[in-house]
Amino acid sequence: MTTENSLFFAGIDVGSTMTKVVVAGMDGEILSRVVGPTGAEHRRLANLVMEEALAKANLPFDRISYVIATGYGRINVPFADRQVTELTCHSKGIVSLFPNVRTAIDIGGQDAKGLKIRDGKLVDFVMNDRCAAGTGRFLEVIADSLSLKLDDLGSLSLKSTRKLSISNTCTVFARVEVASRLSEGEAIEDIVAGIHDAIANRVVKMAQRLGIEPDIVLTGGVAKNIGMVRAMEDNLKHKVLVPPEPLLTGALGAALLGKDFVQKAAASGQTLPIKPRKLEEARFFT
Amino acid sequence: MVARVESKGLKRAKELYQDRPQRVKELKAEGKKVIGYLHLYPVLELLTAADLVPYAMLGDMREPITKADSCLPTIVCPFLRSIMDIGLKGRYDFLDGVVMAHMCEVGEKLAHVWRTYIHLPYSFFLDTPHATYDSAVKQHKEQLKVFKKSLESSTGKEITLEKLREAIKLHNEQRALVRELYDLRKPDPPLISGVETLQVLIATMSIPVEEGNDLLRQVISDVKVRRDGGPEKKPARLLLWGSMIDDTALVEVIESVGANLVMDDIWVGSSAYFSDVEVTEDPLDGLAYRYLMKLKCPRTFRGSAATDKKRDYMKDLEKRFGYLRDYARDWNVNGIILETIRYCDIHGYEVPGLRDYLDSVGLPNAYVEHDYSEAALAPIRTRIQGFVEVLG
Repeated sequence: MTTENSLFFAGIDVGSTMTKVVVAGMDGEILSRVVGPTGAEHRRLANLVMEEALAKANLPFDRISYVIATGYGRINVPFADRQVTELTCHSKGIVSLFPNVRTAIDIGGQDAKGLKIRDGKLVDFVMNDRCAAGTGRFLEVIADSLSLKLDDLGSLSLKSTRKLSISNTCTVFARVEVASRLSEGEAIEDIVAGIHDAIANRVVKMAQRLGIEPDIVLTGGVAKNIGMVRAMEDNLKHKVLVPPEPLLTGALGAALLGKDFVQKAAASGQTLPIKPRKLEEARFFT
Repeated sequence: MVARVESKGLKRAKELYQDRPQRVKELKAEGKKVIGYLHLYPVLELLTAADLVPYAMLGDMREPITKADSCLPTIVCPFLRSIMDIGLKGRYDFLDGVVMAHMCEVGEKLAHVWRTYIHLPYSFFLDTPHATYDSAVKQHKEQLKVFKKSLESSTGKEITLEKLREAIKLHNEQRALVRELYDLRKPDPPLISGVETLQVLIATMSIPVEEGNDLLRQVISDVKVRRDGGPEKKPARLLLWGSMIDDTALVEVIESVGANLVMDDIWVGSSAYFSDVEVTEDPLDGLAYRYLMKLKCPRTFRGSAATDKKRDYMKDLEKRFGYLRDYARDWNVNGIILETIRYCDIHGYEVPGLRDYLDSVGLPNAYVEHDYSEAALAPIRTRIQGFVEVLG
């Protein structure tokens, strides 16, 4: 029950494609969640996504005890009290949902990462190399070339009876390859299945550098695609767990880390410094 | 309020870092000759003894490579491409000559391509051997004789025994001073930051050896008594291993995410200064030995596999990387960043073995590869910050 003494924590995850906010309560319960596109302008306007999340939680901003920004755009959140990498925040969020996780793979809009987790703590990680191959962007580009909706790709891939081999080294080359497969008269579902397999293969190879051990959790926007989940399982030869809202683990972890920081400080009689509770857009020149 | 006392030495170092050729251009106006050298292997004592000013050739990661692609492949070390690029743009025109060595494959090719496209009065290619056999040291000494002769015929002056001994003394003095400076990174917090250290070393490599020694003395005495403006205590104390770094941007990233950079193993860093030249009857013996056997860069093969009959991977790793464990202990390091410039094969080949070694001795490590471009540092920031968070 919320009382005057209740504390609230916000996590904001500014990803390359989507911005996510989670507002959590003292017991780690999620009070509100918002997902919005990051975009060129929206990156400056992280405050709007936060405003929406606060409205949903029915809380004024000054009731939030601690705000952590994470994700690729974390440095553009002027109202955040602290910045923590998405590596640590995703681990935290994933562990809160799957305490036995040992390997987590997050495939976002423009990057992919593998997290090695032991006893609920991040111990090592790998990230993809500045390239869209092996990320959600790869799927977007292919959906566009095939005039398909991104959301339909996954289920379409499951209809394939003869998965085609598509090279996984470059998004731009893959697009050309898809066009040539189409002209050869190949079935769209077989091409799409090949694309899913190409991404999964690339990401799994990267994560193998960490030594993959179960439980394995898949997060990020790409985890919403059932075809990708299957392709990952095929490549990993193991079942993967997917949270109900795979986009939100970073923001959730950020909110929960804020709770940890505040409680840890309070236990030693300290108060953490916080930023003025003013929501405004990021300025590049101050 | 107590006025902040600014270190004269650090200020001068920063000035030189920002405008590297300023001092050598003044010296040129006084009639001195300035010779550019690339990386660890050109024997600086011979230049100093020939009354030439050695000037380290660095790239510029803030300048997009636009001209070098016409004469070097794009899939080679961007640091060396950058040197070629700014050379083609005339930024090394003030040099009276260059000395390049067989530092790595691309370095060797660069030496020849440079000579084709950029016409300076003097140039020499030092064919430094790549292995540590006795015969290689002999071969190296022969190369140094050729280099010495070439300098003498170019300047018209003999490099006397006395001059060479004096130059060895001066350069060894510089090495000792740099080690003294590095000792100031041992306390927690360190007395001098990684960014400041890099500025001091780049400045030192841009001026004559005696002036470099004066600068180092000034910095050391300033820093020893500094009361403010020094680094803060931070959770992580890191060591940076890897390819070339000649810009403070990457170190700034490291030092902005909760870490102090307290030790390194890079060219513009400990590699150039942590081994002395032994004084030998024929000075070329000491020089040939130091520059081949003592310098630590993976361009020289030094595994025990070459001489041991029985293969022992861990023993091999200990021989190649044991010094890093000593550095980590002496500088109280709790994490190591392995950094390579994209396409730096010689450092890239070392990474799997080095990680095995560091894991075996319990030193946490993270590997980052970068494009030698200031614009591409954001993903590096996330990796390094993530590593510091993992260190806890």
